[in-house]
Amino acid sequence: MGSPPLFYRWSSKALVWLGVSSIITLSLGLFMGIGLSPADYKQGDVYRIIYIHVPSAIMGESIFIFMALCGFINIIWRAKISGMLLKAAAPIGMSFVLLVLTTGSIWGKPTWGTWWVWDARLTSTLILFFIYAALIGLHSTIEDKIKADRAVSILAIVGVAIIPVIKKSVDWWQTLHQPSTFKLTSAPSMSPEMYQPLLICVIGFYLVFAFILTLNLRNEILERESSKKWVKEVIGNQS
Amino acid sequence: MKSWTYILLKRDLLIAFRRSATYITPLIFFLIVITFFPLALGPQEKLLSSLAPGVIWIAALLASLLAVETIFNEDFRDGTLDSFFISLEPTFILVFVKVFIHWLITGLPLLLASCVAALVLYLPFESVSAMILSLILGTFFMSLLGALGAALSLGKSAILSAVIVLPFSIPTLLMGTSVIASAINNQEYTGFLMIMGGMLAIGIPAICLLTVEALLLSYD
Amino acid sequence: MSLRFSYVKLFGKIALSMLPYLKVENLSCFRSDKALFQDLKFDVLPGQNLEILGSNGSGKTTLLRILLGLLKPDAGSIFWLDDQQNYNNYRTFSCFYQGHQLAVKNLLTVAENIQMTKASKNIDIEAISKCISRVGLIDPHEYASNLSVGQRKRISIARWLLDFHKIYFIDEPFSALDDEATQLIQDLILDLNSKGSSFVITGHRSSGIEATHINI
Repeated sequence: MGSPPLFYRWSSKALVWLGVSSIITLSLGLFMGIGLSPADYKQGDVYRIIYIHVPSAIMGESIFIFMALCGFINIIWRAKISGMLLKAAAPIGMSFVLLVLTTGSIWGKPTWGTWWVWDARLTSTLILFFIYAALIGLHSTIEDKIKADRAVSILAIVGVAIIPVIKKSVDWWQTLHQPSTFKLTSAPSMSPEMYQPLLICVIGFYLVFAFILTLNLRNEILERESSKKWVKEVIGNQS
Repeated sequence: MKSWTYILLKRDLLIAFRRSATYITPLIFFLIVITFFPLALGPQEKLLSSLAPGVIWIAALLASLLAVETIFNEDFRDGTLDSFFISLEPTFILVFVKVFIHWLITGLPLLLASCVAALVLYLPFESVSAMILSLILGTFFMSLLGALGAALSLGKSAILSAVIVLPFSIPTLLMGTSVIASAINNQEYTGFLMIMGGMLAIGIPAICLLTVEALLLSYD
Repeated sequence: MSLRFSYVKLFGKIALSMLPYLKVENLSCFRSDKALFQDLKFDVLPGQNLEILGSNGSGKTTLLRILLGLLKPDAGSIFWLDDQQNYNNYRTFSCFYQGHQLAVKNLLTVAENIQMTKASKNIDIEAISKCISRVGLIDPHEYASNLSVGQRKRISIARWLLDFHKIYFIDEPFSALDDEATQLIQDLILDLNSKGSSFVITGHRSSGIEATHINI
C-alpha cells in the first residue's frame, strides 16, 4: 500500500472485482426495489426513488466522515496516501450530495407539491453541499498538491466538528420558525420487502464509492508521479 | 499577560489607527448593506422590523468577513509573521492575539453601527441588548473562523476565504438571529447565548491550533 | 546534490569559548524525492560565522527555516546548547532571525519599527537612537514609507543591535546593497562577533566575512 507503483498494480486487480461486485449488487438491489417490492399504500410507485435517495444521503455523510478521518491521519502522521484519498473522495461525496438534493426535489414535487421546502434536513444537506464545494475549491487554488492536501485536511476536520452543530442549530431554527406543514416520514416501519432492497442498494452504493475512489486515486497517483520511470512504463504499455 | 502580547497589540492597533480604512471600511459596508434592504423591500415599518434581526446579522457576517484578509496577509508578505513565529511562544496565543485585534478593529465598531441599524430598521427597543450580546459573541466567532480561512488562503483571493468560511458560520447566524427573534417575542434567549458561548469556548483553542498548522503550511 | 566543506582558515581571532551554540548532525531534507541537502553536519561556535552558499532554489532558506524549527527536517538532529552543554529549546535560546523580507512596516516610524521587535515593555529610547545613528539613519520619527529600499534595510539592521543575541540567522544580508552598506554590515558583524555573537548567513557567493562555508 505504501509505495505508489505497488498500489497501482495491486489496485488494477481490485478494480475489476469492485466494478463487477458493485454492478451486481446495485442491479440486484434496484431490480428488487423497483420490480419486486410492493407499491406504497399512500405514495404509490413514486416512493421507489427512495432506493437512490436514501443510499446517496448515507454516502454523502459517510464520505465526509471518511474524508475527515483521512485528514486527521494526514495532519498527524503526514501520510501522503491519506491526502490523496481525501482529494479523491471529495468530488464523489459532492456528487452524492447533489444526487440527494435532486432526487429529493423530484420526490418532493409529487408528494408535497413543491420542489423545495426549508425543512431542517434539507437545509443541512444543502449546507453539506456548500462545505464540499469549499473543500474542493480550496484544494484547486493551492498549486503544491501536498500543501493543498494538508489545507483541505484542516478544513475537513473543522467541518466534521461543525456539521453536528449545524444540524442541531437548524433543528432549533425550525422549531422557532413555525414548523412547516410538510413532515418527512419519520422512519416509517417499512415492510421487509421494501427494506431489504434498500439495504442491498446501500451496500451497492458503498461498492460504487470504493470503485470510483480507487479509479480517482489511481489517476491522482499517476498525475503526481508523472515524472517517475514506472509511470512512463505503465502509460507506455497502455498506449 | 506576556510582554510580547502587549507589544503586538500596541503595534497592530497603531497601524490600524494610522490607516483608518481598516476600521472604517467594514463599518461603512455594514451600513450600506443595511440601507439596501429598505430600498429593495420597501419602507413599511412592520416588514422591516420583522426582518431586522436577519438583516443585521447577514450584514454583520459579511462585514466581518470583508476584513478577514488583513489578519495575516500583510504580516505574511513583509516577513513579520516569520519573525513572530520564530521568536514568540506559544504560537497559538499569537494567533489568538491576532484574532482579538481583528475583532477590536472590525467587530467593535460593528456593535456601535448595529445600534444605528436597529434604529433605522425599527427593531423593538427591548431587543437591542439581546442583539448586542449576540453580536459580541458572534462577531468574535466570525473573527476566529475568518482567521482560519485567511490562514488557509494566505496570499489568495479574499472571495476564496469567504467561500471557505461562510458555510461554517451558519450556526452563528442561526443562533444570533434566534436570540434577537426570541427577545422580540419576549421569550427566553439565554440558552442560545450559552450555546454561542460554548462554541466560542471550544472554538478558541481548537481553531487557534488549527490556524497555526495552516500558517505553517505556507513555509513549506 | 553534492556537498562540499571548505573551511576558511581562521586568523587573528581568539574564540571566547570553543563549545558550540548550535550543533547540527546529519541533517537531510528532500523535496518531492529529490535531496535539497543530505547529511549536513556543522557546529556554530561562539563568535564565529557560518555562511551557507548556494544558487537560487538550492534550499538555503529552507535550511534556515529548518534550523529555526519552522519546518521539520526529513532526517538528522539540531541541538541548541547552553554554557553547561545542556540541550535547550531554540525558542528559549536567544536567537534572531531576519528573512528575505525585512518586516518593516510602512505606517510605523523608524524608531517604532525598531522597538517593536524587542520583546519587552520597557522601551529604552536612548538605546534605540544609538542603534539608529549607528546604522546611519537620521530621523527616528520619519515614517518608513518615506524611506528608500536601502534605508529600510538599515532599519532591519538596526534591530540587530537592540538586544544581545547568541546567534543571528540572516537570509541574504548582502543582496542588493551599495558598497557603503556592505561595509556597514561587515563592520557590525565583526563587532557583534567580538561580543560573542555568531552569524549564520546565506548568499550566492562568499561575502568576504570570516566564516565557515557550506555549499548546498
